[in-house]
Amino acid sequence: MRRDPVLALWLAPCAALVAGPVAGTTYLTVEQAQAALFPGAQMTAHPVALTPAQVKAIEKASDTRVREKTLKVWSASNGGWFYVDQVIGKHELITYALALDAAGAVRGIEILDYRETYGGEVRDPKWRAQFVGKKVGSPLKLDVDIMNLSGATLSSRNITVGVRRLLATHELVVGKP
Amino acid sequence: MSGVVCGALFLAVLSSPTVCRADENLLGYVAGAEVIPKGGWELYNITTMRNDKDKGYYRAFDNEIELEYGVSDRFNVFGGVELLSVDTRDLSIDGYLPGNENVGPELSGLELGGKLNLLRPAADNFGLSLRFALDYSWLDHHSGEDKDTASFEMDLIGQKYFLDGQLVWVGNLGLESTYADRAPIDDLPEGFDWPTDPEMELEIKTGTGLSYRFVPNWYAGAEAIYETEFETEVGQERWSVFAGPSLHYGSAKWWATLTYFPQITGGGEVFIDQTADLHLVEKTKEEVRLKIGINF
Repeated sequence: MRRDPVLALWLAPCAALVAGPVAGTTYLTVEQAQAALFPGAQMTAHPVALTPAQVKAIEKASDTRVREKTLKVWSASNGGWFYVDQVIGKHELITYALALDAAGAVRGIEILDYRETYGGEVRDPKWRAQFVGKKVGSPLKLDVDIMNLSGATLSSRNITVGVRRLLATHELVVGKP
Repeated sequence: MSGVVCGALFLAVLSSPTVCRADENLLGYVAGAEVIPKGGWELYNITTMRNDKDKGYYRAFDNEIELEYGVSDRFNVFGGVELLSVDTRDLSIDGYLPGNENVGPELSGLELGGKLNLLRPAADNFGLSLRFALDYSWLDHHSGEDKDTASFEMDLIGQKYFLDGQLVWVGNLGLESTYADRAPIDDLPEGFDWPTDPEMELEIKTGTGLSYRFVPNWYAGAEAIYETEFETEVGQERWSVFAGPSLHYGSAKWWATLTYFPQITGGGEVFIDQTADLHLVEKTKEEVRLKIGINF
């Protein structure tokens, strides 16, 4: 049968399809990220479930969508705040941690999980340092105050937008007196 | 498990010719506007099965293997080889299919091209790219007979992200001009028309598609393409609309897209005994395409 070789060609790709995904990379655990961003501080969890009104207010203030209605947030014994959040990468969710100081400005970010083809530079300290000092009202836009990463524009944009959303969340909900 | 994946992909690349259209393809036929970054390489393997012309038996496989390189963050170049196999029985289309044929898989053509990104879909809110390709082939795509074909294709590609990239829209508008010259056939059926004078063809193609990521790594999509072709002697020779679903899996190192693409409606030239209200002289009732891309 002339078709046999051609049909055989389909088997290898199909085998690849059913074989499943390549294992991802976890760079930091939550505890390791807390230790990196708040060395020596004691962390206390404060899980928060957003109300529909809060979601609406955050989306309006940050001009972005709130996908997860339950926040993972901790307070630090030295007065700061620590968030763990996920944004959409090209293939998988990107998990990152955001640290805010007592005044609500960005103290630092850490990438916990990143499994994309390109854009490993999101873990580069120089790229992450661009976020330090950002507050509510900062542009937090790609190519404006945050550098784009070639080949990972969606990932770098979504992390940037995620930080903007968490800053609005902190001001409107968690850090609200 | 990674060994199984690598082995399977290695076999796929070696054995199965495919096509590539620059960067990860969420859909089978309508391309996206993204490019791979400077220094990046991607190997594509695209297999298309063209099946059923209403009468008799017709099945053809087009296979392309293509390699793409990121010259800069905005410009990619690619080159590839094409393979063709045609198996047809009890079917004769005057001017196109002389009769029973069983050809290939045989090396049938070469392709070279580039993709220039003008706007980035994530950073500029709307993606826009220009893709161009030069293709030379020596086997007739429809019959597997000897036929020299040189074509130049230019596509304008749009892309828009919605829902933070969870939903992706792509749209294409393309123009392809082709010079074709068929070799004579000695044992043609009596009265069978097989023109051997060179001809020029102009094809216009437009397509649109949506792809939605329903769980991490997996996208479900749908796309449609309208194609029409004009020829020197007959004017509008054909038109057709194909539309169908796609399933896409993507990870950091490789991706795959499977598309079922039936012809929904079509017109233009028809052949004797054709009953379906479709264009089946140059097209088939359905196509199935499997694409695989590997990043390295």
